[in-house]
Amino acid sequence: MKNLYIMGSAGSGKTAMAVGLSLKFKQEGLRVSYFKPVGTSTVTGKADEDAVLMKELLDMAAPLEVIAPTMASPFYLSRGNRSAEMLATIKRAYQEIARHADLVIIDSAIFPHIMGTIGLDAPSLASELGAGVLYLINVKNDYSLDQSVFFNQYLQYKGVPVLGNIFTHVPRPIQAKIEGVYKPLLDNLGFRTLGIVPRVRELSSPSVAQVHELLGGELLTGERNLDLLVEDIMVGAMTIESALGYLRRSNNKIFITGGDRADMALAALETSTSAIVLTGGLYPDVKVISRAMEKGVPVLLVHYDTYTAIEKLSELSGRITPNNKESINKAVENVERYCDWQGILNSLK
Amino acid sequence: MEKTTSYLHNQPVLFGKKFMWDLCVGKVKAMADLTPLFNVKSVAIIGASNKPGKIGNVIVKNIIESGFAGKIFPINPKETEIEGLPCYSSVSQAPDKIDLAVVCVPAKFCPDVMEECGKTGIKYAVVITAGFKEVGPEGLELEKKLLFICKKYGIRMVGPNCVGIMDTHIPINTSFAAGFPVQGDIAFISQSGAMLVSIMDWAKSIGLGFSRVISLGNKADLNEADFIDAMADDPFTKVILCYIEDVHNGKYFLEAASRAARKKPVIVLKSGTSQAGALAASSHTGALAGSDLAYETAFTQAGILRARSMTELFDLATCFSYQPLPKGDRVAIVTNAGGPGIVASDAIEEARLTMARFDKETLDALRANLPAEANIYNPVDVIGDARADRYAFALEAVLKDPHVDSVVVLVCPTAVTDPENIAQRIIELHRKYPEKPLLTAYMGGMTLAKGVKILTRAKIPVFTFPEPAIRSIAGMVNYVRRMESRVEGEEIRYDDINPDKVKAIFYDVIRDRRSVLLGSEAAAVAEAYGISAAPVKLAISPEEAVALAESIGYPVVLKVASPKIMHKTDVGGVKIGLNNAEDVRNGFIEILENVQRYLPNVVPYGIEVSKMMPKGTELIVGMTRDMQFGPLIAFGLGGIYVNLLKDVSFRLAKGITHAEIAAMIAETKASTLLRGYRGEQPADMMSLIDMVARAAKLILDFEEISEMDINPVFAYPDGYSALDIKITIEL
Repeated sequence: MKNLYIMGSAGSGKTAMAVGLSLKFKQEGLRVSYFKPVGTSTVTGKADEDAVLMKELLDMAAPLEVIAPTMASPFYLSRGNRSAEMLATIKRAYQEIARHADLVIIDSAIFPHIMGTIGLDAPSLASELGAGVLYLINVKNDYSLDQSVFFNQYLQYKGVPVLGNIFTHVPRPIQAKIEGVYKPLLDNLGFRTLGIVPRVRELSSPSVAQVHELLGGELLTGERNLDLLVEDIMVGAMTIESALGYLRRSNNKIFITGGDRADMALAALETSTSAIVLTGGLYPDVKVISRAMEKGVPVLLVHYDTYTAIEKLSELSGRITPNNKESINKAVENVERYCDWQGILNSLK
Repeated sequence: MEKTTSYLHNQPVLFGKKFMWDLCVGKVKAMADLTPLFNVKSVAIIGASNKPGKIGNVIVKNIIESGFAGKIFPINPKETEIEGLPCYSSVSQAPDKIDLAVVCVPAKFCPDVMEECGKTGIKYAVVITAGFKEVGPEGLELEKKLLFICKKYGIRMVGPNCVGIMDTHIPINTSFAAGFPVQGDIAFISQSGAMLVSIMDWAKSIGLGFSRVISLGNKADLNEADFIDAMADDPFTKVILCYIEDVHNGKYFLEAASRAARKKPVIVLKSGTSQAGALAASSHTGALAGSDLAYETAFTQAGILRARSMTELFDLATCFSYQPLPKGDRVAIVTNAGGPGIVASDAIEEARLTMARFDKETLDALRANLPAEANIYNPVDVIGDARADRYAFALEAVLKDPHVDSVVVLVCPTAVTDPENIAQRIIELHRKYPEKPLLTAYMGGMTLAKGVKILTRAKIPVFTFPEPAIRSIAGMVNYVRRMESRVEGEEIRYDDINPDKVKAIFYDVIRDRRSVLLGSEAAAVAEAYGISAAPVKLAISPEEAVALAESIGYPVVLKVASPKIMHKTDVGGVKIGLNNAEDVRNGFIEILENVQRYLPNVVPYGIEVSKMMPKGTELIVGMTRDMQFGPLIAFGLGGIYVNLLKDVSFRLAKGITHAEIAAMIAETKASTLLRGYRGEQPADMMSLIDMVARAAKLILDFEEISEMDINPVFAYPDGYSALDIKITIEL
């Protein structure tokens, strides 16, 4: 078996894991290919971003339509059930990808259950393609573990080999609980833990550019600092005096406030802020722009309300781009330091 | 690389970029020597014009009309003569040395003009031109450029975007305001040009005189601190008035104002106190106004009198300028009607002044000479039919009284009142007793107008109603009180503190990319500075919590540890009075469940186990770092009612002394509790003062601490215990 299928919920770090593992295995002298049977794109007609990234990183000859041969969309069923046709496309593409590879890293859609209705969910495809599964767990509480166990067992019943689980984006405070409580519980159930990867901001934090892309709107200043990372989101609706307490507690934040709240925007600029989002289509006072320019903080003006902006931002998660060496190195480092990559490789043999 | 000393010698040298920037934002600064600015002998008007109505023309005319005895050089390459004076194409063409350049060319030409001024050796400039920082980013760039040139050549600049300066003692009027004030002893420094021109016009109508009038404009170089400092030593200035929307540099402002307030009254109207006002100020000047609380505290500590309105600002100015300082707070009222006397008495009580109680001699004299219906006690009512003689008798009697520090005369226009004669007698008596402030309220309009004029001309403050008169006395008394109660003491010092320990803890926190310390870390920081904190340990599992509880000893308190949670009680993150292992184990899990319910995305660092301390008087000691004035310390009644009762007093940490801390504690109602309320044992005051001093030392030593809250502190008859400490640092 030379197929490794990476599964996990949205935001569990599948792309980072794919980047880390494939580059690590490549270093080990293996010919590694990347395959994403069901892709997605933010804009209809645009290629899957992970496919673009991996094609470049692994220097793959295959075209993007082969690396990500089908695309999911929230309304895919409206196009009719093209299950058989799509499966055939996927298999054809896989053949091409796998032809010259020692190892194919297969990435799942945003969630493993996507396109389950027509039998193209990740577990079914893993079974079709003969892949072993690496399941990523982004723990929030004990229920997260329940979900993972449920999924592991489902794979087992389906006859798909589960290589093991990796805990990703682990906040430092719960590392001990994972080691002391979760891992033994998984062991007892017969599921291996292949890694506990701590949260690193370079991988978990989105950039201001992503925020801009997601929210749209006008960039009033800070074109050159769109690569700043966003670690927190804060809404400013209180008085300056009470706001400062909150502002100071939060680092590298996006600060959302009305365009007419010059006082708040200026206060935020005196604390650690990655970007200011002004809502309601109200152009700010020039002084806000001047100060933001001095501080090099991007200011974004959107024409809808604060609540809508926050709702949109909830979709945000870290993303790796091909030219972002720092996050790519972090992804590899995470695999090297915190994952049993040797064990993964061995179990594929 | 950064040759700061060269700058101080005004030599044009190259600076490091960082230093230049620090200079521009006011981080590096020496108080300006403005003596030459107030002694100019020659002035150039760059942008002078022949066209009536143009600013370049108004200024030339104003300088001529002000009676300036020095040389005037209009500069304009297109003209040969302006207002009868020979005009020059540039400052370098002027036949003589120029002391001051007044610049009114369009903004884009200002840098070149300033460069030329620099090369010619001009050391002072007033830039009238607008179109700089106030108009946006391009303007800001231009202003920085201008400032850079000033620093390069050692030019001290007023403005840009200002009205100019007026000086009645040189005399010179470099402003474009209409008219020139009469000579007087009030210096007026204003951030608003419009306010300044209005005031000048009004002051002229009532004959109020000024020594120097300065429009600050954008304060790119010279700011309020420089001028307050200069006016402190100005022999022609008796009172310093300031209208400001923000302070350019809190530290220098405090230094200058404290020094000046020791010599003469400094009265400040700081606008932007309301939230709407602050908003207007912030969009007006682009400055992030420091919080009003910080301003209030800073003003009090510097000995500045804060006026609450324009009226109060000038009422105070008039009284300080015209009248002597009162020796105490005892006020006597002389009136010809009962009602106004009562209103004045109420105002005296409200202003925390004292109604004077007359000497027996005074009472006897009043009784012997006033009609039987008159009231001889304070307020002295000479009744409605009183004419000038009776007023004069009563007034002299109270002025003579050693138990009277100041007098307010109230006059109501009855049919027999002769306001002009009364005014004359008041003036005579003020000359006879010049050491006591004498204020009047001429309560009326038409019939009293002449009397008002007579008094104003003789520099006796006249008000229409009693309350502003009393408020003005209160302002004067406050100034005197502050000067008397000024506690000079040693700055706090401790040898038993461990800054390295604190550094190490902060290092770990920063490495963890956190701004907020966990309770256990904060307690360790406090202990390193000798603050006695209740022992706190972090547990990451229920078993560990039980083990820690056993070692600390029951009863214990459990608190959620998370930098994301500001109010732990609100999210069910605190359990108190746990007495056994079972309770601790359950408490641990319950807290995690509660927190998850309220804040599903927050992952706690664990649960902190601390010793349950015996109940004492609950206090709070807090600190917030104001953007202008640095750390501000708060002391007050603590616990959950702190936000409700707001029994808190504040001080700036910088330069605080043990005596000042004692005074700060004494200001609160909590101090009554601490002294032992209703038979309770008094708290250990010395240890509390020591704790506040150590907290102050800590925040002064570590600039990265942006906020600190010790709430509650339990005060005991012997010592105290800091139960919950929150520290926020800047990464």
